[in-house]
Amino acid sequence: MSTHSLMFGWEYPPLHLGGLGVACQGLVRGLLHHEVKVTLVLPYESETDDVEVRFPTDEIVQQLRICSMLQPYSTQESFEANIRKVPKIKKDIYGNDLGEAISNYTEMSVKMTEDLDPDIVHCHDWMTYEAGRRAAQHHNVPMVAHIHATELDRTSNAPNEYIYNRERLGFEAADKIIAVSNYTKNVLVSQYGITPEKIVVVHNGSFDLGPSAELIESKRQQHTDNPMVLFLGRLVTQKGAVQFLEMAAAVHQIRPEVQFVIAGDGHMLEELVDVSLQFGLQDSVIFAGKVGSMEVKQLYTQADCFVMPSVSEPFGLVALEAISHGTPVILSRQSGAAEVIDDCFQVDFWDTAKMADCVLTILREEALAHQLRSYAPRILGKLTWQRQASIVNSLYQDLIYC
Amino acid sequence: MQPNICFYFQVHQPYRLRDLRITEIGQGDMDYFDELKNKQIFRKVAEKCYLPANALMLDLVENYPDFRISYSLSGVFLDQCREYGMDVLESFQKLAATGKVEFLAETYYHSLASIVSVEEYCQQINKHVETIKELFGQTPTTFRNTELIYNNEISQMARMMGFKGIIAEGADSVLHGRNPNDPFRPPSFRLPSNIERIIREHRPLAKRSRDIAVLLKNYKLSDDVAFRFSDKSWVGYPLDAHTFTDWLMSSGGTSVNLFMDYETFGEHQWEDTGIFDFLRSLPAIWQERGIKAVTPSQLIADWKKENTQEYDVHNTISWADMERDLSAWTGNHIQDAALGSIYSLEGKVKESGNEELINSWRKLLTSDHFYYMCTKYWSDGDVHKYFSPYDSPYEAYRRYSHALHDLRSRLHT
Repeated sequence: MSTHSLMFGWEYPPLHLGGLGVACQGLVRGLLHHEVKVTLVLPYESETDDVEVRFPTDEIVQQLRICSMLQPYSTQESFEANIRKVPKIKKDIYGNDLGEAISNYTEMSVKMTEDLDPDIVHCHDWMTYEAGRRAAQHHNVPMVAHIHATELDRTSNAPNEYIYNRERLGFEAADKIIAVSNYTKNVLVSQYGITPEKIVVVHNGSFDLGPSAELIESKRQQHTDNPMVLFLGRLVTQKGAVQFLEMAAAVHQIRPEVQFVIAGDGHMLEELVDVSLQFGLQDSVIFAGKVGSMEVKQLYTQADCFVMPSVSEPFGLVALEAISHGTPVILSRQSGAAEVIDDCFQVDFWDTAKMADCVLTILREEALAHQLRSYAPRILGKLTWQRQASIVNSLYQDLIYC
Repeated sequence: MQPNICFYFQVHQPYRLRDLRITEIGQGDMDYFDELKNKQIFRKVAEKCYLPANALMLDLVENYPDFRISYSLSGVFLDQCREYGMDVLESFQKLAATGKVEFLAETYYHSLASIVSVEEYCQQINKHVETIKELFGQTPTTFRNTELIYNNEISQMARMMGFKGIIAEGADSVLHGRNPNDPFRPPSFRLPSNIERIIREHRPLAKRSRDIAVLLKNYKLSDDVAFRFSDKSWVGYPLDAHTFTDWLMSSGGTSVNLFMDYETFGEHQWEDTGIFDFLRSLPAIWQERGIKAVTPSQLIADWKKENTQEYDVHNTISWADMERDLSAWTGNHIQDAALGSIYSLEGKVKESGNEELINSWRKLLTSDHFYYMCTKYWSDGDVHKYFSPYDSPYEAYRRYSHALHDLRSRLHT
């Protein structure tokens, strides 16, 4: 009999804001490959009034959609902004504050999955932990809490107490915790007081197998007068866009012809534009805003170098994406991706002078750039979702049968 | 008849590069090397290995009449002795003064010149031979190339330079089941005339040698000590000096050549593994059993040339990694680019006549720089990672390429 995982998710393609949805989809598909039956419960904003149970198309996954105002990366503030847009009658479902919404979501998710007969409950990030805990209790099965990003990552160590506590309670309730990196595992141990033995590290995987030989070769031939260095991420402190601009300023001193593209949006946009002007980068930095998947592909392919200067990055799927487009990467050491990608430069996020030096070296040394472009994608073949899901599946079996 | 033992120890330290930055290039007076780190590492190894091992060797050599050993000290190691450790240099000089310790010749800068530039290769060997004479009062007659890089041409070049013996790896792929414990000779052939001319111009020894013996490392027995000594999962663990002596004797031939890094004693195998006690107990056992530990020149003096077999090496071999070829230093894009760029400056650097510039350039020829750029097993955390002072092969290349660019800018001014 195949294992049945009742999974409480948060976001899922095509509706997703960040890496979490992509990771969740990868894991689900990987588990399906290993013949694990997955029932996925998802919360997100819906036009319908009723709380509808649906079984959408994404392969064999049964998705139970729960109407909710919850969005990933929610804060109390943004939640309030959202709730104000909602007609009065709907507010009954969501509640007036984040806490109430979560509790409603939790109630509904548990209720809707009562009739299932899962072997294990697996929940992703803090908003689903309470639903997971209750479902696990109800079905009397083990609970796995998957952590993709902590409140400490998102807020640069100035956590919302409520969220921090929800996370901690989830970690404590879980039988096992899956962290997306050793970096995150260390955060859980040092900042949440979780014992290391309880945490299993399963790095995120990749869908892409890497660039074609033709693409690598065409990049080798391509010579441009204005090399381009790319940033892609939400414009929030965590992602290090300020550090990116500091790096850009240092590069600009030596190579003024270099262009910098900042793709993504977020509340820091205005501040970042100001900073770029202060640094005299008005003609060198392009703020591309939120970009669609075709544009993203184009940017990755076009970039001579991708920089992920995150202040705190549990994993950083963008690094794998950049590599899969044959683009050399420079990664913050404060990231999970740096643990798995060998063919790259790694620097501390605050050391923007060294970051700039790495960029300049890649732009100057064709042999180096070529080697990074052609060697780095080797990790993609090793780090498939199928392989990562098999680790998760083994963990399931351990929990169910041991 | 039981075989002799021939111990040869490699002693080398490279000049590691500093965290150089692009902004410093062309500013003048750029020091490429990490003075502090090089000194720290030298002193650490001195305390753990060089000084205690030399003291032990001196004791053994003085107390056991038939116990002799040999060393190859790289020129850059000797330079670092003069900078960071006169005590270490003096302890080697004491060993030399016993008359029972032989010093081999090698490339001064522990370089890959043998596979790139014959002229530079000869000049470095010359400089090394002169330095050994000056410091230890003896003229080397046996040659060991950097990391035992070896092929037929390298062997004939060594003969032309005047060496009577050359050290090489006893590679299975060349031995084809023959015993590495016997001296071999290279196939005889004439070197291209331009190479012969360059060697004549830079011959380190008085005249060419009529013959050259190839002494092969018995890698199985050498590695039992160098790599496996403290490996608890190894079937031979713990290695007992009597058992090891039995293995040596049963391997037969003329001489078991145990060639290894000197850092085996105290640095790769820590003191608490018992490596020093193991070494200390060997000469007594050997004396009792009538076994002699000899030097390469003794071996060659006793070499019965008739019936000597050929060691025919077309594809270059070395003692590095599992592959035992050049792939530790060459083959990936950054290694090849770095190696190509540094040697492309040879002519201009030498024409400049600027000793400081020439010296900086030569320190950049040291093979370790290219070893650190190796990506063969990078993801498996292998020995390259263990020995690298840098975060990654790319960091090694970043620093190296900055040094190269600065060197180039100095040539233009």
